[in-house]
Amino acid sequence: MSTAGKQPEAVTVEALDEIVQRNQTWPVMAGRYGVENPVPPWKTSLDGMCDAIDRAGDDLSFTFNDRRDEEDALSATRYADLPYPENQLVALAHSLVAHGVIDETELRRRLDAVRARLEA
Amino acid sequence: MVDEITDFEVLEIALRELCIEKGLFTAAEHRHFTEFAEQIGPTPAARLVARAWLDPDFKRLALTDGLAASKAVGVDWLEPTGFGTPSDFTAFKILEDTPTLHHVIVCALCSCYPRPILGNSPEWYRTPNYRRRLVRWPRQVLSEFGLELPADVEVRVEDSNQKHRFMVMPVRPAGTDGWSEDQLAEILTRDCLIGVALPTPGVTTNVLTRTRPAIHPAAD
Repeated sequence: MSTAGKQPEAVTVEALDEIVQRNQTWPVMAGRYGVENPVPPWKTSLDGMCDAIDRAGDDLSFTFNDRRDEEDALSATRYADLPYPENQLVALAHSLVAHGVIDETELRRRLDAVRARLEA
Repeated sequence: MVDEITDFEVLEIALRELCIEKGLFTAAEHRHFTEFAEQIGPTPAARLVARAWLDPDFKRLALTDGLAASKAVGVDWLEPTGFGTPSDFTAFKILEDTPTLHHVIVCALCSCYPRPILGNSPEWYRTPNYRRRLVRWPRQVLSEFGLELPADVEVRVEDSNQKHRFMVMPVRPAGTDGWSEDQLAEILTRDCLIGVALPTPGVTTNVLTRTRPAIHPAAD
């Protein structure tokens, strides 16, 4: 994936596209397991992460407003098929990769490691 | 319980770990913000307005010094998490409705919201649909929440921003004479304090509205 000179929305992050395609969204999972919680259990942790990132402001090359604008743009385009808050989570991941904060290879490696840990 | 590990759960953890390793925040900071997100709810805001309806002195305080009134119901805007949140600034104004004036809040720019006292914003508050259209066609948008206001009621849309937060103090409805603060607080739902609903005796839940997706290309 190349991010040089591209608008964040124009960047493709294959690792995230694969997640979208597998579609383990909360409405699907909650329906399958008969759960009634309206949002997934990781929602407040995502809220905490967004707040913590916004507070990191000066250490990043993009601002709070950039992140929210990108979330809007990505939720309306690339990730339009995802419900909320999955679209917020994936848009955040997309922004972090597109701005070079996280490398896609590093993200893939970590996704595998976290899944292996949770399934152990 | 969902007995399956989803990609989204994994992604949330992976992102968080990588951000911590890169020094964007610490695990303790994240935990603190998450605790804040889990604890806040509309209750303090409802109590604030209920008390203002009953106590003219407190109402005066609420309308002139929203931060002091918030503190009286247990919310300290200066220290909501113990070290402040990045997007909840401490200029808070409560907007008083009258029989001929109705307020409704929005953040046209992003999703600024009086979180310390009202909790996390609802999903629809964050949508471009609400944010873009409310400032231009407030009556149309309010009607989508089932709120039809008479023509002689002026609608004022207050746009929040990174420096200023707002909340609505609705008119106390008829049929609530003699009610206690607890009873009044029950009908002051989140939506009433945003301004997309009016407090109504017997109604203690938020409006159910179908959230429209953000704008899609016309080709969709």
